[in-house]
Amino acid sequence: MKRRWGMAIDLDKCTGCGQCSISCAQENNMPIFTDDSDIPKRVAFLDLMKVTNDRDAKYPNVEIAFIPKMCQQCEGNDPGNPKPPCVTVCPVVATDVGDDGVVSQVWSRCIGCRYCQVSCPYEARAFNWWKPRYEGTFKKSLNSDVSVASRGTIVKCTFCTHIWKRERDKAAANGETDINAVTYTPACASACPTGAIVFGDLNDPDSEVSKLAADKRAFRLVHTIDEKPEDEKKHLMNLKNYPNPKVYYLTSRQWIRDMMRFK
Amino acid sequence: MQIFFVFLAVNVILFFIFAIQILFWGLGYTDMNNIFSMGLWIIGDLGLVSLGGGAFFTGFFLYMLRVDKLEPIINSTVLIGFMCYLFTFVFLVFDIGQPLRAWFGYAYPNWGDHLMPQSMLTEVVFCLTFYFCVLCVELVPVVLRHKFLDSFPVFRYIGHYLHRLMWIMAAAGTFLSFFHQGSLGGGMWDVLYGKAGWFRAHHQFFFLAIVAATAGGTSFMTLCPYIAGKVMKKEVVPMESFRTLAKISGVMFICYTLFRIYDVYTMTTHFVPAFDRNYVDIWGGYYGIWMLGLELIGCFVAVAMLNVKKLRDQEKFMVIGISSGVFAIVMSKLNVIFHGFSVPNFPWRDFMAYNPTIQEWFVTTGGLSLMIIIYMVFAKFFRLFPHLEKQEHHAE
Repeated sequence: MKRRWGMAIDLDKCTGCGQCSISCAQENNMPIFTDDSDIPKRVAFLDLMKVTNDRDAKYPNVEIAFIPKMCQQCEGNDPGNPKPPCVTVCPVVATDVGDDGVVSQVWSRCIGCRYCQVSCPYEARAFNWWKPRYEGTFKKSLNSDVSVASRGTIVKCTFCTHIWKRERDKAAANGETDINAVTYTPACASACPTGAIVFGDLNDPDSEVSKLAADKRAFRLVHTIDEKPEDEKKHLMNLKNYPNPKVYYLTSRQWIRDMMRFK
Repeated sequence: MQIFFVFLAVNVILFFIFAIQILFWGLGYTDMNNIFSMGLWIIGDLGLVSLGGGAFFTGFFLYMLRVDKLEPIINSTVLIGFMCYLFTFVFLVFDIGQPLRAWFGYAYPNWGDHLMPQSMLTEVVFCLTFYFCVLCVELVPVVLRHKFLDSFPVFRYIGHYLHRLMWIMAAAGTFLSFFHQGSLGGGMWDVLYGKAGWFRAHHQFFFLAIVAATAGGTSFMTLCPYIAGKVMKKEVVPMESFRTLAKISGVMFICYTLFRIYDVYTMTTHFVPAFDRNYVDIWGGYYGIWMLGLELIGCFVAVAMLNVKKLRDQEKFMVIGISSGVFAIVMSKLNVIFHGFSVPNFPWRDFMAYNPTIQEWFVTTGGLSLMIIIYMVFAKFFRLFPHLEKQEHHAE
């Protein structure tokens, strides 16, 4: 059976420690710029968004939460024929959806038109506005499984798909030829100290991620169509494609769910 | 006049200085970022292609529908169209992060089923290129009619026969320009189904952009030679030609205004509510709904001035009409970019703003200055305005 990789992030367990973000940067050769406080221009696959229940609230009524946000690996309305918003727009086929449902990005094919970035409703794609630099000893810690991007190209989270390839190579060396028999864990999920990030196969109903995705506490980022009645949902899906992401968030705090609505 | 020349020269010099900086050190020097991913140069592209689209529409009327009154204006129209497309490519070179990989667009196009381009940008790349080639061929007879070149029989014959074949070029140009006006101006944005500021039914914004180009483009093609005539203090094009093109523009502005109102209506009732949002709510920040108001005012003025014969026959009202038309179409392109990018993607985010850097400004104004200089050179040394020669001949 083909894999359909997905993720579930329990916001009630997330402490906002940032380990996921750091391990992601380390694993995927994120460059370090002189001024990384320039957030809109920062190159990061995983953005830890801090949200609060009310900006004007005062103690003890103030509540905060951290939302780790990476590429949501969208599928569009039809998961059987995935059409993420970014893939169809790329003029040079630098981004595509794999059999495993992961939206890939080929740095060396990208011409830097940023049309995919424009189309992404989750702001998950980063552009190398400056030449990526790795000062001093950082060069020695570069991951040889991930190519270093050039200036002027788009980069994004690929669910650390290179780790899956590494695991498959290991399994193949041991005689396992079915690539779908191998599983893996992306850097962010393995680094999370509280186990808030769970990664797995959404096609496998027994996997933990499938169970979490079906949980009552689960929701998807700003995906309001999920809350609509079936009839209205059908009508809306006839009108337009919806991102239909494969990253689920869980919380028992109502104010976080309320924040996902614009109205 | 001298101050204007100095202004143009300074712009051009700064264009080359900042061009080197951008091309060698990257787009970090712009105010674009991961959220406001495109800026002044894409507005330039949209505006130039839309206004330059007047070339195909004027050519269509002259060569296909045989509106001979447009003959005196066609050379200027072809040159403006050529420059608009040329500088669209120039701005695109700056805008993409990897200009050396620009040929990937031809080598690895994103074709979908049945030879239909999947990415609107693929359609834009191919149609822009082909139509630019058509414009190059259309410009050749204008260049060959230069006094020196015209003295060689071979060039005269080439120019003559190219001129006779021009209806084929006009037909090809109409076909190609029709599609990329739609894909770059509208189709590129309305397929972005994740973005509330842009998404609408695909055919809707696609055809709206085509109508915008026919309306605004013809106004622009009237305005440029009119200004040239004022600067040169000569009648470069007979008033009859101006009025004919202005009348065509006026009719197209009626279509555009009605279509735009329908577009706003469907956005309000169908497409923005599909994102669980209100149309008025997505106009905020610096780029409020006043921008849409300005665009519509420009349209209404153009409709009134260019369609009422009494007004159109008065020079000042005709000029106000065509200027309003150009203004309305430029505003529509500003709306697409500024408004579309500033809409927040998350409810807890504010509207975004964009403030172009000095590099972006001078690359843009430098490009426009170069266009003005090329137009002036053609007006002085080439047969840009055949009507002038006729006048001189009559004077003799």
